[in-house]
Amino acid sequence: MFFWLESTPLALWVSLSFWAYPVLLSVHIVGLSIVAGIYAMRDLRCLGVVSEPPLSLFVRLHRLALAGLALNVVSGFLLFSSQATVLIESVPFLIKMVCVGLASAIALIIHARFSAAIVGQAYVGESDVLLESPAIQRLSVLSLALWLSAIVAGRLIAYIF
Amino acid sequence: MMTLAQFLSETALHTWIVGQAWLWPVLEITHFIGLTLLIGGLLVVDLRVLGVSASTPLLATYRLLPLVLLGFGLNLISGVFFSVGDPFRYAANIGFQAKMVFVLLAGANAVYHHISITPLLIGLEEGARTPAVAKISAAVSLLAWSTVLLLGRLIPYLGTG
Repeated sequence: MFFWLESTPLALWVSLSFWAYPVLLSVHIVGLSIVAGIYAMRDLRCLGVVSEPPLSLFVRLHRLALAGLALNVVSGFLLFSSQATVLIESVPFLIKMVCVGLASAIALIIHARFSAAIVGQAYVGESDVLLESPAIQRLSVLSLALWLSAIVAGRLIAYIF
Repeated sequence: MMTLAQFLSETALHTWIVGQAWLWPVLEITHFIGLTLLIGGLLVVDLRVLGVSASTPLLATYRLLPLVLLGFGLNLISGVFFSVGDPFRYAANIGFQAKMVFVLLAGANAVYHHISITPLLIGLEEGARTPAVAKISAAVSLLAWSTVLLLGRLIPYLGTG
């Protein structure tokens, strides 16, 4: 299946075109900064590293973070397709995929909790009592660790085979 | 530029960096974590200035600025290590040179924001419109840093200029 993927016209375009691969890498780093950046800020806020802004702001930025994620799923898939047979056996790559998957699932769970807490409140700042919830704290630590691991593993793909 | 590169290549730090096989991936990972903090924090601040999540008190987002500075600091240090570790490559690279121009532009804009825009925003009454100059500065910030990201990722693929 991965041999087939590598030989599709799209994958061949990525590997043979002079610009496709570097441009996709550049898009991938912009997507990374959006999705991991926004969620890292939210997690650090949840953990009390910073005392502001209110959580309602992160509820509004959730869509942008998801757009960053979508950008990287697409650019990442195209990058993957050009080296599918090699990457599917790369340990750092597989670790990265697991981390991104889990971190994305956690992002959806945290967002759902925040949204539920904010609905029906006149003053959005009150949702911040949610911060004292141990469940949110645990999820934030996990989320931060997973995005960090995804970045570390992603970078190591080039070094560990 | 080449004289500087020549000087850097003769420093003890250069010899040390070149001698540590593990250091380069560690520096890259640090650079990626730094950019996530830098861009993540600035996305929140600049988008708020541009009008996203208008119900959030604007200055509340400024609490993220220490994280932005931390990210910048990490990248300044890891960036200096890259330059000292491989000076001839960077000195001759058009992507690196263009990236530095945009870092300076983004930095100057940040200083301008701190000196001129911040006092303006502090003096703003609640619910008042954000001045256009603040929005322009926020847009310049996001565009300049995105360009830094794109150019940085293209360095390995761009030749000498």
